[in-house]
Amino acid sequence: MSYSNNPTAMSAVIGEEIVLAGGADRRTELLKQLIMPALLLAFAGYLAIGMLTMRVPEGTAFPGPKFFPALIASGMTLFAILLAVQAVRAHRASAALARAEALRGLDEGEAGVVADQTAPGSATATGDPAHAEPARRVGVDWRSLAWVIGSFLAFALVLPTLGWIIAAGLLFWGVARGFGAGKPLTSLIVGFTLSSFVYIAFDMVLGMSLPSGILGWGF
Amino acid sequence: METLQLLLDGFAGALSWQNLLWVLIGCLLGTAVGVLPGLGSSMAVALLLPVTFSLEPTAAFIMFAGVYFGGLFGDSTMGILMNTPGQASAIASTFEGHKMALNGRAAQALATAAIGAFIGGFVASIVVVFLAPVLADFSTRFGPAEFFALAVFAFAATSSVVTDSAVRGLAALFIGLGIAVIGIDGVSGAPRFTMDSPNLFDGISLVTVTVAVLALGEVIYVACLERHVTGGKIIRPKGRPWLSRAEMREAAPAWARGTAIGLPFGIIPAGGSEIPTFLAYGVEKRLDARRSRPKFGTGAIRGLAAPEAAGNSTTGMAMGALLALGLPISATAAIMLAAFRQYGLQPGPLLFERAPELVWALLASFFIAMIMLLILNLPFAMLWAKLLLIPRPYLYAGITVFCAFGIYATSGSVFDLLMLLGIGIVGFLMRALDFPIAPLIIGMVLGPLAETSLRDATMSAGGDFSVLVQGPIVLTLYALLVLVLGFAIRGRVRARREARLAAGLAAGASVRAEARSEV
Repeated sequence: MSYSNNPTAMSAVIGEEIVLAGGADRRTELLKQLIMPALLLAFAGYLAIGMLTMRVPEGTAFPGPKFFPALIASGMTLFAILLAVQAVRAHRASAALARAEALRGLDEGEAGVVADQTAPGSATATGDPAHAEPARRVGVDWRSLAWVIGSFLAFALVLPTLGWIIAAGLLFWGVARGFGAGKPLTSLIVGFTLSSFVYIAFDMVLGMSLPSGILGWGF
Repeated sequence: METLQLLLDGFAGALSWQNLLWVLIGCLLGTAVGVLPGLGSSMAVALLLPVTFSLEPTAAFIMFAGVYFGGLFGDSTMGILMNTPGQASAIASTFEGHKMALNGRAAQALATAAIGAFIGGFVASIVVVFLAPVLADFSTRFGPAEFFALAVFAFAATSSVVTDSAVRGLAALFIGLGIAVIGIDGVSGAPRFTMDSPNLFDGISLVTVTVAVLALGEVIYVACLERHVTGGKIIRPKGRPWLSRAEMREAAPAWARGTAIGLPFGIIPAGGSEIPTFLAYGVEKRLDARRSRPKFGTGAIRGLAAPEAAGNSTTGMAMGALLALGLPISATAAIMLAAFRQYGLQPGPLLFERAPELVWALLASFFIAMIMLLILNLPFAMLWAKLLLIPRPYLYAGITVFCAFGIYATSGSVFDLLMLLGIGIVGFLMRALDFPIAPLIIGMVLGPLAETSLRDATMSAGGDFSVLVQGPIVLTLYALLVLVLGFAIRGRVRARREARLAAGLAAGASVRAEARSEV
């Protein structure tokens, strides 16, 4: 199956496959592939420090509270190393391929075009050859990314002071903006309508508690 | 006969007007998220999880069942009309289904899919009703070693069979396991990895993790792609949404075969209905090739009927496995297992004894949901397609607001919101780097079970690990696991050999072309 590992994602949804790719640069590709090993190592390190500082109650029998986390941390380290080795190997292979193509390009002149086509293909060597159309590779849209993450962070921090209605309305506006919504005023109105509706339905009718913040008139 | 009596009692419980309303809401929501591009039923259940805590458990689960099945019905609608399957299980139906729509038979394609999903789900529900109590009864013989084997089975199958790289799947699984060990240790009472922060004493809530990974991570991921989306064209179906008798006769054997293929996959923890739908499609294609006039590739009704039936029969059986064994086979089932835990219920043998009215009302509601979904989907498929008119920025902004609402309403702390964002970013990274998400959720849900049963088993044997591989049930489970992994490895080796062969042929062709150009 040549489809993405997470088929609910956009890749399977739009009808054409879109894949996020850092760029044609091989160095960025390598760095990208090393993100996950780094994350795994960081998590394993956190677990290791936690195990060293853990206060285990007296008289705990052998497979104690540290046993399972130790298995997990060592597993994470192992997979981080394997992934890193895979990434470096793919990087070397594509570098060697590019060198070979460049050499041949000097000889024949026109083979440089071929090198451009094969280099990204070799990075995804695990892909299924039977898949008819190759996935379209696009770069990360940093502006959208910053808008969505930034809006959520701001929302989390101002929620207790500004209250649900204002904070959630602004969150809606920010995320819509990150998705490229055109009319800022319209999305602000839609956002406030939604946040007020949620407040009325869940806080006032169903009795879940949401902060009223500076709009709190004793509701 | 006792089963039938219990089921009738269940119907009596499920047919109250409140419960019917919850089924209807669940079916509507499920179909809606199935139809909307980018949303799957697992995301819908994750988003609903926090909101339903104010409901009583029976109502909540009846609604979840509606969402779960509804997602499958809705997915095929969009797959057929726009060639945009909402989740993996709908991909196989899209091949022939979309071709049928292109040939002006969209209405019949929608009807074939809806009836196929209905048959698959209905048959599976019947099987579950009779099989689940037997399974539950059988699993009363399970001790800690058996549960550990079951968890290992689920871990290995989800992280290596479905994904194309075992290391990636296992890495995702271990992140889930790692998140699950944070918090106070249930066996010894020692606080673990909390940095002495009271926010972490209860651990990181599964609700936070699922909403973060499945909903927020998805939103961030889609945001990065949004400006590149070109958008597909929708086909407006015309004519009768019913099938002629000849079409019925054509599709009937495919529905039956699809259902039969889907059923066993419901209790194998191999990632849900993706594999059976492709298998069913493949079987039909092979059978079709033997006919005097092969129809595949031109919109064959059988190529659509079989995967639809297979997908829903797997889903139905998966609910049975979840109820009887407490074993989630897909991400959605894992979230429902989490929902059971939130209500203090543990699916498995004891559930049938402790909360029979809930179990049987839930099983009865499967049948009600199937009928409702058939009514909702057969004539009104086009109405559902109108949902696509919601501008995508508003849709995803709304989802984000809902994530934030759900988490804040259940925890009431800013810390949890920040945790949601942090794990959401991890979810985004995993998507962007093509790491599978499902193993993380399975690891998070089954991690505690694996740990406690491992420790219980070895502690009671005085620290001897060999108890983990003793007993007939345990050995059978491990043998089955080896078999499943063996098949997976064989398939992968074969795929790799074919890839190498194809690459070799291509290289040979280019060499020949070069030789010719030199001449």
